[in-house]
Amino acid sequence: MTFSLNLSFSDLLLLLPEIFVTCWLCVVLIVDFSFSRVPKERLAYLSVAGLVVTLGCLAWFDMNHVSGTLFGNMFVLDRMAIFFKIVILGATILVILASIEYVNRFTLFRGEYYCLVVMSALGMMFMVSANDLLSVFVSIEFATLGFYVLVSYLRDDLASNEGGLKFFILGVLAAGLLAYGISLVYGETGKLVFSDMASAQPTPGLVIGFLLIFAALGFKVGAVPFHSWIPDTYHGAPTPVTTFLSIAPKAAAFAILLRIFLVALGTFKPLWVVLLVAVSILSMTYANIVAIAQRNIKRLLAYSGIAQVGNVLIGLAAGTKMGNDAILFYLLAYLFANIGAFAVVIAVSQAIGTDEISDYRGLSRRSPFLAFAMLLFLLSLAGVPPLAGFIGKLYIFVAAIKEGLYTLIVVGLVNIVISMYYYLIVVKQMYINEPINPSPIAISGPMKTVIYVGLAGTLVIGIYPQPFTDWVVSATLMFANFIGPSVTVAPPVHSLGG
Amino acid sequence: MGEYALLYILFAPFAGALALIFISNRQPLLVRSVAASAALVSLLASLYLFYAYDPVKGGFQFVQKYAWSKQLGISLHLGVDGIGTPLVLASSILLFAGIFVSWHIKDRAKEFYIWLLILAAATIGVFMSLDLFFLYFFYEMSVIPMYLLLGMWGSHTKKYLEMTDSEGLKLRDSVGFILNFGSNSKEYAAMKLVLFLSAFAVAALMGILLIYKFSGLNTFDILVLREQANLMNIPVLGTTLDKIIWVLVFFGFASIAPLWPLHSWSPVGHAAAPAATSMLHAGVLMKLGHFSIIRVAFEILPETTRELMPIAAVLCMFSIVYGGFVAFYAKDTKYVIGYSSSSHMGYVFLGMAALNYISLSGAVIYMFAHAMATGMLFAMAGWVYDQTHTRDIPSLGGLSNKMPFISVCFVVGCMASIGMPGTVNFIAEIMIIVGSWDKYPLQVIVAMLGIVLTLAYLFKMMRGLFYGPMNQKYSHAHDAISAVDRLPLLIMISISIGFGIFPMHLYDVVRSGVDPLVARITRVVPVAQTHEGSGVRSEVIIPGTTSTVPVVASKLLPLPSQVSRGEGE
Repeated sequence: MTFSLNLSFSDLLLLLPEIFVTCWLCVVLIVDFSFSRVPKERLAYLSVAGLVVTLGCLAWFDMNHVSGTLFGNMFVLDRMAIFFKIVILGATILVILASIEYVNRFTLFRGEYYCLVVMSALGMMFMVSANDLLSVFVSIEFATLGFYVLVSYLRDDLASNEGGLKFFILGVLAAGLLAYGISLVYGETGKLVFSDMASAQPTPGLVIGFLLIFAALGFKVGAVPFHSWIPDTYHGAPTPVTTFLSIAPKAAAFAILLRIFLVALGTFKPLWVVLLVAVSILSMTYANIVAIAQRNIKRLLAYSGIAQVGNVLIGLAAGTKMGNDAILFYLLAYLFANIGAFAVVIAVSQAIGTDEISDYRGLSRRSPFLAFAMLLFLLSLAGVPPLAGFIGKLYIFVAAIKEGLYTLIVVGLVNIVISMYYYLIVVKQMYINEPINPSPIAISGPMKTVIYVGLAGTLVIGIYPQPFTDWVVSATLMFANFIGPSVTVAPPVHSLGG
Repeated sequence: MGEYALLYILFAPFAGALALIFISNRQPLLVRSVAASAALVSLLASLYLFYAYDPVKGGFQFVQKYAWSKQLGISLHLGVDGIGTPLVLASSILLFAGIFVSWHIKDRAKEFYIWLLILAAATIGVFMSLDLFFLYFFYEMSVIPMYLLLGMWGSHTKKYLEMTDSEGLKLRDSVGFILNFGSNSKEYAAMKLVLFLSAFAVAALMGILLIYKFSGLNTFDILVLREQANLMNIPVLGTTLDKIIWVLVFFGFASIAPLWPLHSWSPVGHAAAPAATSMLHAGVLMKLGHFSIIRVAFEILPETTRELMPIAAVLCMFSIVYGGFVAFYAKDTKYVIGYSSSSHMGYVFLGMAALNYISLSGAVIYMFAHAMATGMLFAMAGWVYDQTHTRDIPSLGGLSNKMPFISVCFVVGCMASIGMPGTVNFIAEIMIIVGSWDKYPLQVIVAMLGIVLTLAYLFKMMRGLFYGPMNQKYSHAHDAISAVDRLPLLIMISISIGFGIFPMHLYDVVRSGVDPLVARITRVVPVAQTHEGSGVRSEVIIPGTTSTVPVVASKLLPLPSQVSRGEGE
């Protein structure tokens, strides 16, 4: 395989967002080192400025339908990649804004924090554009590298170190699985690019290879049974990092999963549907039941995140264009609700210094705004109308029922009820219980912005989803070529009740 | 306004809630007046709707349709027929009355009114939804405000406050807490309500999703589905699909009604709720169940309804008798009224189960009548509780000296609840009993027994609260004197008695909604029942034919009156 690098200017245009973010990363680093007098929060605003410019560039791409592939199909910029890049950059911007106050408490390396966040975002931007197994491996490791450092950023905090170590060890294990899986797949097919594999035969080696790749990606999204690092890591990591970790890597890994399952493995749908149904049921049920017993809000949100991933996997198991749309829509709804909920957690822990759910007692008296925002975010996560999460869940269920995944939908619906319980326990603490210390809680300006953005997203998507559904439907148009009734070799194995 | 009446009714409370967010709690009068004016707009618009609804034309009127999601086939499709119209009116009356009943709330009044308005708007939304998605949307939306209203402004039962727990209050947040059915706290009641309703709501959602898939029409629109969906005779799991869907939808929605084995959340919820919430809860929230069954199961699966509705006829007996006896032995005012409500909802199920024009019309009128009667009782129980801070009947007594106005209203409320002639409840009850006699004589006898029971427990409560020796501890209690306090009771009493004496328009409106439905289900044309020959008079449209033909009635009929199929224009 010869690899010739003949890039024209128009090819470079496709890479423009990544190139710009890379340059901006260097700028932020240089400013950090050269002007040590500069207050570190200026660095945060500087990073945000660069990311906003990139976001604008991506929006322009999206409007003008810029698309193409680079480096012999290793890098693809299609509308789905643009969608995910916008989601990831949006999450990064909100996370940086939510971190400012938190980072000011750090004694060391405050400037590097922002660089590491942007670096991880850059890695994830490559992840969502990865179109072959090699670039998947490289970009995943690139993105995770930043997170290893970020998770253990609180050097004096044992929980943070423990979380970081767990994350690192299991992350390296996942990397090993991924590399092994890739080598098996390459050995069996001789191909690396997803779209070339569409005609492969399901040999045992290939199946094992893809199972290993799925396990590695399952680790990234945090699906049961690959979830064991999540609660401790989420709990130990600095809360803004937890926020970032709970959204962006999941979205990026789902982009890869979509490409692998629908493009590379489109012909094996009857095989992988069973796998995804099992993982989805396990994720939702396990996480929702364990979440009931949580006493710490970060752990609660960690388990709730696992359960949400189970919901997203329903859409993936549907394996249709509509399932894809639903996944993208759900991730959008999840982004706003989850960032918002974590932003409230950060704001509260800034003021009262703990993350225990029992310390949320009487939050509605101490800060009606924070309590109301948290209420809406949690209800959106639970899937209560008229919030974004409800439409997301319904979209996924509709996509799944069209494919006849009845068992999965029943489990999903039962899990809505289970999850309602633990979300409402937090609501009970905030609204029904009286505060022990009724002093009001102050919220910083950037934090308020983040919460307002979260609220706006949660409510607007919930009340008027049409523009967003239009967006996700057009973002996955290219999948219409890969998945259709003609591609499915075997008839669907799922009959009613099966 | 005219054709946009539904939008005013639905969105005025939402707009009021939105406006309240920006008003400070330090201006209590402004908060209350904004809430009251939002409710007033809604009330006036629904009065207009009620009288502007044309029963001769029938069908769905004031229809509004806005595309909402093309991909999912959802549109905001609003419209009322003869069944929805009186229920919309009842909701807005109770909302308006509820705002005045809770006029004296001090703690976080703004938040209270926000959630009350959202609760009422959501229930109103269900009554006018012609789209399965929005029906579920509003239905589920009404649950969360209940949680907060119960939790934040509700009250524990006496037993709970006296309960000593060796582990302190820690158990309240655990799994054991929710499974501990001996608990009487308001948190328990609120959580139980939400979990029960959500659990059954998702069953109904499963039914809705199955309708969506197997109709193959990619739409949630009820009017399209009822004309075109063919869900019959699809064999599944040893039975047919339509039966599975029907059972899911029926029991999913019957839980809020609350039908007998699914009722246990309801009295607990009533007992914990503040007065205005109990009023809305018993007055209209429960009717969401019957209404949604009528709208989804009756409209979309008429044949299955005819086949399976005897289930309701069996269960309604247990509802009536069980609720009645528990109410008789209950010591807590709100438990009495709560169980009496769930007992009375059995009558509605009986009327629905008999599936003829008279009984189903009776059921719909009963929903309206019960909303007024139970609204009054809860408002007064709330007043007594506010004055005495107890709901324990044995410790109360002789309050008629202190509150003559309330005790007179209470007598009227009891009369209405029993179904005395002169109140609209009487008309409804007599229609249910007469209409059901042919088909379910046993159930009618049980219902008669239920009326006797109602008499017994309401009189027992009345005696316990207002007559007999007075407990001097409550000598500071005073009557409802100001106009604000009297207004809600007077509104509900006048509506109850007004429609009891002049029921014609209400009857015509309800018949215009019920007739096409029953015609669809039974395929039999009604006996002419309208007073003086006026009222319902339109044609039957047989699906598949373009011309309207008079349907050949059964042989007994000398004069076939005709019914409309309820086409929404």
